[in-house]
Amino acid sequence: MANNSFRNLYDAWDVQVRVIHALVIRELTTRFGRENIGFLWIMVEPLLFAGLVGLLWRLTRGPEEHGISIIAFVATGYIPITLFRHGVQRSVIVFTTNNSLLYHRQIKIVDFILSRCIIEVLGCMMAYLFMGLVLVAVGEFPVPSDIGLFIAGWTLYALFCFSICIVIAPLSEMSEVMEKFIPVTTYVMIPFSGAFTMASWLTPGMRQYLLFSPFVNGMEMMRKGLWGDQVTAYYDIWNPLICSSILIIIGLILCRRVRRTLAVE
Amino acid sequence: MIICQNICKEYKHGSRRKQVLTDVNLIVHPGERIALLGRNGAGKSTLIKLIGGVEMPTSGKIRHHMSVSWPLGFAGGFQGSLTGYDNARFIARIYERNYSDIRAFVEDFTELGTQLRMPVKTYSSGMRARLAFALSLAIEFDCYLIDEIILVGDQNFHRKCHYELFEKRADRALILASHATDLVRNVCDRAVIIHKGQATTFDDVNIAVDTYSAL
Repeated sequence: MANNSFRNLYDAWDVQVRVIHALVIRELTTRFGRENIGFLWIMVEPLLFAGLVGLLWRLTRGPEEHGISIIAFVATGYIPITLFRHGVQRSVIVFTTNNSLLYHRQIKIVDFILSRCIIEVLGCMMAYLFMGLVLVAVGEFPVPSDIGLFIAGWTLYALFCFSICIVIAPLSEMSEVMEKFIPVTTYVMIPFSGAFTMASWLTPGMRQYLLFSPFVNGMEMMRKGLWGDQVTAYYDIWNPLICSSILIIIGLILCRRVRRTLAVE
Repeated sequence: MIICQNICKEYKHGSRRKQVLTDVNLIVHPGERIALLGRNGAGKSTLIKLIGGVEMPTSGKIRHHMSVSWPLGFAGGFQGSLTGYDNARFIARIYERNYSDIRAFVEDFTELGTQLRMPVKTYSSGMRARLAFALSLAIEFDCYLIDEIILVGDQNFHRKCHYELFEKRADRALILASHATDLVRNVCDRAVIIHKGQATTFDDVNIAVDTYSAL
């Protein structure tokens, strides 16, 4: 009996991996095609954003702020925020746009969100790595002092992005009003994302409120992992973990409800 | 075996509701060929989508004890912006089949040649039908769901379908929504007429076709 259910779980996992793999490849070919650099385009946008905004700040504010390189600081803030913004943009009415895929029963609607988030995360990680290597070579970027902490921070940040996407996707199917508020919300979000400030630069009163944001906790971990003793970081791993778990549960319930009434052409 | 128990389906749009199916019961045994008859908008496609798991019933239960194809119809199943080959690759991946086998069968069955390198959205409905049939035949399901599209094919396609589906795979079950009464008379063992949300099963296909023609 126990052996049997273990077998079922293994088979289900097998189907899940196959579906995600197929969806990721399909998404990459439809979005980027096979011309010129192909799927490498996924890292171009985060790179351009981080590079150009970093350069702009460098020219207007000088080489350093609070003792760390301003280009590196802006770049490390901008890449995670592109992950968030792209993830959210890609989740809006994702079920309707992909509904022809629902003809295949092994594909579930959560797989759409999962595969798109995986693509965004991979793209941003590639951009991060590429930019890090280039900036380290020219001496504008620190050699990571604690790569484990950095990866942990990135994982929590990505997990929280996914949990927001899984809530936004079904909500955008339920109400069209939602779609109109998303661009402005993601913009207003920027100060609460920890992209351009570190908690230690603020007054203790302000800091306390900023640290309610799961993004800030993830971002502080990433920066501590990169700069080590050069910066003071405030973070709590439980904040992003708990917030993500709650949102994922809500998201799964919403997805289940939306799937029941989803009309497929 | 496929068992549909008390299926109801209702569509909502804003404050409007439309009850499409009311308490439909249907059992499909292995190897049985069932025709779905009904006027336009009666709910034939809806029932096929529910059986195929594309949409969920508002209430009632559908249980599958055999593998069921996706509904082969004018819409769905393919990604229009991808080429025929890319769609075949995608389907081979999710159904865990060997792509080169599928590719060989698709090339042979569809006779589309270099068109397979074009996006599916540029295909005519006849070409789509060829691709959809080729892929689902290559995967080998126990039950095929066919929503009208068999009619759009040319003579050559009909011959091929007849051989591959009705002769070589005579042991497979089939649910066919169609207005082609001759095809239904020749091929099906039983028929279901859907009218005003109710489904009535006929064991004699000829009586069913006559009843349907009188609607």
